[in-house]
Amino acid sequence: MTSDGAAPRVALPDPGAVALSALFWKVAPAIPIVGLFALWQILSASGAFNPYLMPEVPAVFRRVALELVNGEFLLNAGATLYRALAGFLIAAALAVTIGIAMARIRIVHWFFDPILSVGFPMPKVAFLPVFMLWFGAYDASKITLIAFASFFAIAVNTVAGTQGVDRHLVWSARSLGASERKILWTVILPAALPQILTGFQIALPLAMIVTIVTEMLMGGVGLGGAMIRAQRFADSIGVFSGIVQIGFTGFVVIFTMRWLRRRLLSWHEEAKR
Amino acid sequence: MATGAAIAVENVSHHYRPPKKRPVHALDQVSLEVGDREFVALLGPSGCGKSTLLYLIGGFMPIESGSIRVNGNLVTGPGPDRGVVFQHFALFPWKTVLGNVLYGLENIGVPREEARERAQKYIDMVHLTGFEDAYPNQLSGGMKQRAAIARTLAIDPDILLMDEPFGALDAQTRGLMQEELLSIWQRTRKTVLFVTHDVREAVYLAERVVMMTARPGRIMESVDTRFDEAGPGVMDRPEFVEKASYIWNRIKGEAIATVAARAS
Amino acid sequence: MVATACRYSPLLLLALMWEAAVRTGLISDLVLPPFSAAVEGWWDLAVTGDLFPQAFASLRRAALGLGLAIALGTTAGILMAWNAKIRVFINPLIQMFYPLPKSALIPVTILWFGLGDMSKIVLIFIGCLLPIVVSSFNGARGVEDVLVWSARSLGASRRQVLWQIVVPAAMPEILTGIRTALAISFVLLVSSEFIIARDGIGFMIAGFGEEGVYDRMFACIMTVVAMGFFADRLFQLFMRRVLIWRE
Repeated sequence: MTSDGAAPRVALPDPGAVALSALFWKVAPAIPIVGLFALWQILSASGAFNPYLMPEVPAVFRRVALELVNGEFLLNAGATLYRALAGFLIAAALAVTIGIAMARIRIVHWFFDPILSVGFPMPKVAFLPVFMLWFGAYDASKITLIAFASFFAIAVNTVAGTQGVDRHLVWSARSLGASERKILWTVILPAALPQILTGFQIALPLAMIVTIVTEMLMGGVGLGGAMIRAQRFADSIGVFSGIVQIGFTGFVVIFTMRWLRRRLLSWHEEAKR
Repeated sequence: MATGAAIAVENVSHHYRPPKKRPVHALDQVSLEVGDREFVALLGPSGCGKSTLLYLIGGFMPIESGSIRVNGNLVTGPGPDRGVVFQHFALFPWKTVLGNVLYGLENIGVPREEARERAQKYIDMVHLTGFEDAYPNQLSGGMKQRAAIARTLAIDPDILLMDEPFGALDAQTRGLMQEELLSIWQRTRKTVLFVTHDVREAVYLAERVVMMTARPGRIMESVDTRFDEAGPGVMDRPEFVEKASYIWNRIKGEAIATVAARAS
Repeated sequence: MVATACRYSPLLLLALMWEAAVRTGLISDLVLPPFSAAVEGWWDLAVTGDLFPQAFASLRRAALGLGLAIALGTTAGILMAWNAKIRVFINPLIQMFYPLPKSALIPVTILWFGLGDMSKIVLIFIGCLLPIVVSSFNGARGVEDVLVWSARSLGASRRQVLWQIVVPAAMPEILTGIRTALAISFVLLVSSEFIIARDGIGFMIAGFGEEGVYDRMFACIMTVVAMGFFADRLFQLFMRRVLIWRE
């Protein structure tokens, strides 16, 4: 579905105008982004708003550059990524194992099915004070909460993916003499992989959201902690440079995941699109 | 034919039990024998249980009542003695053509070098030379089915179970594949049980056509369909046309019954 | 009824295990109040305390933020699919903001909108907006050309095509996007109420946690869990009603 606004052309348009319009549509995607920053800068420089609420764009990017050079950014981003990925990987390992077991063993399904159906939609961050109570205010409780928050989306998708495996594939493997164990590794897991990766792609942004929240609440090294400290010291340039840094980190994580999906599913029909 | 039957089905009945719905009576007291190296087509209206029967012989589903023997042994599960070709190919999409063909050879413990050689031989046989490293989604429907046939033939099963293998192909590809299957069968001389709902395909390919009734499926009649002449030209011969129209008339009532049952 | 009870029986089993683990002293009641104490705490809060007003205040924030996001997000998404020029201008902003973990905006929304309702509503609105825009865009863009062409050849105007073909055909994806946003709205609600707030269910959880009133803390957590679960269930029921043609 695209616009069919182009009316039938009666006269040939001027070639110069065509080239100009082509050039315009080439740079058009940059316009909203540049425009956003420009609007921001104009508003903040105009003095209509308190500079505390709206620091100037160059000041924010100077701060980002400074922290990039003095290593502050790498230190904080490293701590944040370590927690997010550690929690996410623990969740992935557990959720894929349990998800596959659920699809194949009835009693496991009976036990975990209601837990997943309640756990999937619930706001997992609500358990943050519980994990703080149990594991203290350091990495152990942060990582546990991140794992807890990521677990359900991956498990739900693993179950759906495993149950949705075309039975003819399994039958083919059986009649080609494969053992049940081999079928699990060479048929069920690869066939469920697209949906397992979908689970990863739902869980990973959640893990990032929760990581930032735990860091804001418990402090320590990390992008969230640095941001909340900036806020406490009324350092609004620090707050906004924190958003830029967190946004960049989130961008790297999400695009790495997309790249991984394309690599792993190069055999899949979706790769052709 | 009674002695040394490759496949012996005796009084097999089967029900499907979909959750939250009434059980469906798919097969009723079916008995069938397929001789060694015989090519038999199983013909019936859609939903008559012919695929179910094939799956039971394949050992994919538990047998409720009656018994099935393959080369004298009771069927209890799938095995590499019965190769299967499905309508929708069931190729592993994450493996290349070569990887798919090698899969069964690895399982039955063929040494690496020999497996490669054998895989190549069957890939050549189905005319996929040059496509060894292609993934299934890069192939056309006909090529996918060739790859699936090569994968099945590579482990050298005694029996080929084919479940409407050309049903998903366009008419031209279908004709070519029929020729190729016949030529492979003449070279390898395997026992073939071929499920289809296409009368001409059944009469042309098989030595014997077994007709089934509408659900619940029963064996209706078995017709000898060997002709003196070979090749696609036989389809224009009066004896072919006569046999095909006889079988079509027998099946037609069942097809109408199926449509009526679905409408009710 | 019986089937549902049977299906959810493992949750009862879990509650019993919880109770037994604390009663037998396997887990100290200093770090985990027995299940029965949490239920008792819930009852106290429900009858004498202000559990329901607080829960309602939270729900209101989530509903307003999500509602705004649905109104603006579906419109923007469908417009993007409808008109390539609009797409060129909106898409870069989406690409830029999509990967940002939206909890990073909590300090800014507080800075701009204060400690009350407004900061939470805006945060939830921003957090829910992008998933809805993206799913509406994908849904509307995925409408098969032949559907649009048949409608046009049957005499429908462009406007009618939009309302009678594109919107219904995009509905499954739009609703899936809203369901994702619903879950996000609860996460951001609770997070922002944890970090800075004066009331709301998240504020209560954090408050009871700091004071060490753990039975009430668990009572509030169970309330949030139930809120998230039932909101999702209700939405699924609604989805099934709307998409009845899909079976």
